[in-house]
Amino acid sequence: MQEWLHIVDRWFWLGMGAIGFAVLFNVPKRTLLTIFLLGAFGGTLKFVVIGAGGGIILGSFFGAVLVGFASIVAAHQRHTPPFVLAIPAVIPMVPGAFAYRAMLGVIHLTEKINHDTFLKLLEETVDNGLKAFFVLAALSLGVSAPMLISRRESAKNLVVRIKRDELKSK
Amino acid sequence: MGLTDEEKVNELSKVLLEVGSLLMSSGANSSRIRITISRIAGAFGYDVDLLITHRALMMTIYDEETDFFFSRLKRTSPHGVNFRMVSGISRMSWRIVQEKWEIDQVKNELERLKSLSHYPRILVLAMVSAAGAGFCRVFGGVYLELLVTFVATFIGLYVRQEAVKKAFNPYLAIFFAAFVSSMIAGLALKMKIGPNPEYAFATSVLYLIPGIPLINSLSDLLDGNIMNGIVRGLNGLMISFAIALGMLGAVLIYGI
Repeated sequence: MQEWLHIVDRWFWLGMGAIGFAVLFNVPKRTLLTIFLLGAFGGTLKFVVIGAGGGIILGSFFGAVLVGFASIVAAHQRHTPPFVLAIPAVIPMVPGAFAYRAMLGVIHLTEKINHDTFLKLLEETVDNGLKAFFVLAALSLGVSAPMLISRRESAKNLVVRIKRDELKSK
Repeated sequence: MGLTDEEKVNELSKVLLEVGSLLMSSGANSSRIRITISRIAGAFGYDVDLLITHRALMMTIYDEETDFFFSRLKRTSPHGVNFRMVSGISRMSWRIVQEKWEIDQVKNELERLKSLSHYPRILVLAMVSAAGAGFCRVFGGVYLELLVTFVATFIGLYVRQEAVKKAFNPYLAIFFAAFVSSMIAGLALKMKIGPNPEYAFATSVLYLIPGIPLINSLSDLLDGNIMNGIVRGLNGLMISFAIALGMLGAVLIYGI
């Protein structure tokens, strides 16, 4: 019971993170609820993958893929390009903490410190920097996965094409 | 080519570049800009080639059959992300194709999109602060730390908005915001408010993370717009650097 409560609590706050940024980016009002749901479920999937031992990079990738595909479906109902929905939803997954820790590390490296501290700091800095880069790459790859797989330039063509085929088969 | 056609192309190229520069400053990636402009130009029966850079757009609009071309350059202004604009322009581009709009209609629609309101400032401040508190919760903070993050984010974002309004250098505005936020969260850390005040300190600056420049950077690189990808990535790095400097200020002052 306690476990479930924890997951629901995190689900809610992940969604809040997404719509906070959505408001900052001035998205249309009709998309706010969708962005909340995308952010909440995408983030939750990320933590599920991390919990299963997948690591933060793989976790972010799967979270972003979920957001990417769901945003294509939702884009047609909300009449907006998929990326308007997908970007605010994946922003909470952006490795901001890794990025500024890496930067902070670089700044600290220039200080006068002894050899051992330097090596330890270098290790942390490189680790944070690489994680930041690869999580970011995983995010943008995940979000653009539907477009890359379907090889279309616009999501509009994508689903219009499918709908026409459906009509024909009926 | 008659004079009227030339005037028409002149008008069309102005509108197309306006669309492109609005998209660029609103936070769209390069391939979206290219696709949208080509789509609109195609609806008016012309082809376009574009050179997209971070601060300027160069466009040649041409008619294959008559071997007529027209070139124009426009600077883009960095304005801040506005997805309502991106969404509006995307819808407009499809309506231009489907409903065969005239250039005047496009101009009017662009004016309407530009006049669309933003969310009220207090709502933006509150929602972004709630998002910051959300990050703190996801890190594992308790409600007292969430409150610290909320306050730090609220005041930090206010400082950033004011600095942008006073036309400070954008990186400097981010530095100020990061400094103020981490001074507030650092005070809580110094006074040991809550069981894990370092969570509040780490998440108090996350609202500044350059998510859009970094994600757009990677998606531009993926699309093969290497130059734009590098430029956007460096911009993101500069912002991260400004955040780190702001935090460093607080770290040095408090001796954390």
